[in-house]
Amino acid sequence: MDLLLQYAVNGLATGSLYALVALGIVVLYRTARVLNFAHGDLAALGTLVAYTALTGVRLPFSLAAMTGLAGAAAVGALFYAGVVRHAREAAPLSQSIMTMGLALLLGGLAAVGWGTDIKAMPFPLSATAVWRLGGLVVSQLHAGATAVAAVLMAGLYLLVQHTRWGLLMRALSENPVAARLLGVRSDRILAATWALSAALGAAAGLLLAPATLVDPFFMLNPFLKGFAAAVMGGLDSPPGAVVGGVVLGVLESLLAGYVSVAFKSTLAFLLIVMVLMARPEGLLGREFQRRV
Amino acid sequence: MLGRGGDAHRAMGGAGWRAVWVAAVALAALLTGGPAHAAERGVSANEVVIGTSTPLSGPAAPWGATALGAEAYLAHINDQGGIHGRRIRLEIRDDAYLPPRAVANVRELVDRVGVFALVGLIGTANALAVRDYVVANQVLWITPAIDAQVWVGYPHTRHLFVTYPNYLQEAIILGRYAIDELGARSLAVFYQNDDYGKTGLAGVQQAVEASGGQARLVAAVPYELTETDLSGHALRLRQSGAEALVLYATPRHGAMIAAEIAKIGYRPHRLATFTLADPVMATLAGPAWEGTIVAGFFDFPGTNPKVDRVLSIITERRPDLAATPFNALAGVAFLEPLLEGLRRAGPDLTRERFVQAMETLQGWDGELLQGVTFGPGRRQGLQAIFLAQYRNGQPVRLTDWIPYPVEF
Repeated sequence: MDLLLQYAVNGLATGSLYALVALGIVVLYRTARVLNFAHGDLAALGTLVAYTALTGVRLPFSLAAMTGLAGAAAVGALFYAGVVRHAREAAPLSQSIMTMGLALLLGGLAAVGWGTDIKAMPFPLSATAVWRLGGLVVSQLHAGATAVAAVLMAGLYLLVQHTRWGLLMRALSENPVAARLLGVRSDRILAATWALSAALGAAAGLLLAPATLVDPFFMLNPFLKGFAAAVMGGLDSPPGAVVGGVVLGVLESLLAGYVSVAFKSTLAFLLIVMVLMARPEGLLGREFQRRV
Repeated sequence: MLGRGGDAHRAMGGAGWRAVWVAAVALAALLTGGPAHAAERGVSANEVVIGTSTPLSGPAAPWGATALGAEAYLAHINDQGGIHGRRIRLEIRDDAYLPPRAVANVRELVDRVGVFALVGLIGTANALAVRDYVVANQVLWITPAIDAQVWVGYPHTRHLFVTYPNYLQEAIILGRYAIDELGARSLAVFYQNDDYGKTGLAGVQQAVEASGGQARLVAAVPYELTETDLSGHALRLRQSGAEALVLYATPRHGAMIAAEIAKIGYRPHRLATFTLADPVMATLAGPAWEGTIVAGFFDFPGTNPKVDRVLSIITERRPDLAATPFNALAGVAFLEPLLEGLRRAGPDLTRERFVQAMETLQGWDGELLQGVTFGPGRRQGLQAIFLAQYRNGQPVRLTDWIPYPVEF
């Protein structure tokens, strides 16, 4: 029983970070209808900025982390203002393809700027200091990362559901043309959404970094997992992203423990395919409707 | 019209065609550098061109430091006047660790650049993808950075010289050390799910079988190169209760699993392949790396003045390589038998003279490598490794050189 609980707790810790990545993808998708393939690279860039602020400039962790989030947010917003905005008439798919270009560009720039060697991220929480609750072992890092991810998710919920910005984002998401006609300054809202999405990604990167170590490409796999979680939960549903991330994390952990550690991701993705066959819109996504 | 065309063709059969042939031969001579330099591919009066394909981008990019280390060391050799008056130019191509790009790179290096030799080339899949092409073109190949076991029983090794350790033999040595010296009765292996990791697993299995029932292999836990969550792997290892854990992983995953098992309070003896010997591991894994036993095939920085000197030569030219000293030095270790071969081959350099010169290396000590031996029919240059243990963040030598069989 202890072991089962341990696998579940480990899965929850990993899943909450998948959820954070997935949220960043979903927030942008539901507002702008763009799938951002550079999400992982923006996250890695933000983390590397924080790394430099910590180890180069020697800022305290909280300030360095804010610098990293701000860096990723600024690049996200700039990409919208400088590139995507000018291709507003392009189909969402074309805009998504543009983000692939951004991904390659950011990966290359980060490799030139920071080098490709693996870096250890200084972090205020220890990966090796643990709390023991009976047979259950929880590291400070796991507990802290899960708690921070939960706070960020709650904050995002409040932002989207209970603020004017959130209302405008939702308005754009529901009907962009009507929102513009009603005076919503869509460019500002979209730039802010790009910034928010990138900052969420960078936050996930910062929380993952002490465990996975950092290089310009370290967010590639977490991005793919977050993307899968977003699709499973429903691409237009923030709660769905959270559920998708947590389910994927726990599922992988349990499969690693009780079925096969080698095929844990394969089996998890197989289950995602089965979920999508039963509910193509994802676990909490809105049902697809086609007008005739 | 046909008749007129035929007349024209007949007219061309005389002086016209001769002119075309002369022009073609002249052009070919021009393109190949003229008769004066046609003696040997990649060799001119003042230069020897060598090449490598390596990951400079993508997730395996840290290993590209090997080629950059070699390049920096060559700059030093060239500053000293080169070898027999020739500068050595290393052409580096990025393959992002992808076999199709490695194939394209090697074809370009051989067909278009016309290199005298290839040096290094990282990744078993990449090296195997180009192996037949290299053999068919009789290209000299010095130390492909892949498991030397690949060459055991391979017939076409005339132009090949290898000073890269054998993972199978290394894993047997690590397993034997765990059983005989550390007294471990149960062993586990954490390995990369590819040829590299599986060879390590096979070696530990052989050591366990040879123990005559003294020890058992209680867990073999694989991981994928893209994996970023090893908590499940760590729990599996802890469940096995193994007294010794052998690691065949990338530096990232080696550091991650060391931290993960420490997180859940599991502290077996840890032994790791030489690819995890870089002192950077102590930074990446932190205190979780303390006590880990690692293999080595050249002395670590800080333990041998010759090695320290090479490292300072490299980092003077490329300060960024100080972050990955082991990889940068490994690049020089791949290169230095080639430099010695060039010295011994003399000023009149040909491929055959080079092969003969390399075959005279008998127990040769370079700046990094020690006891390198080649000979007619012998292409395995190394036959011993040593073990060291991480104490206070630095590898401290534990054993003398431990020999293993010469197999090719």
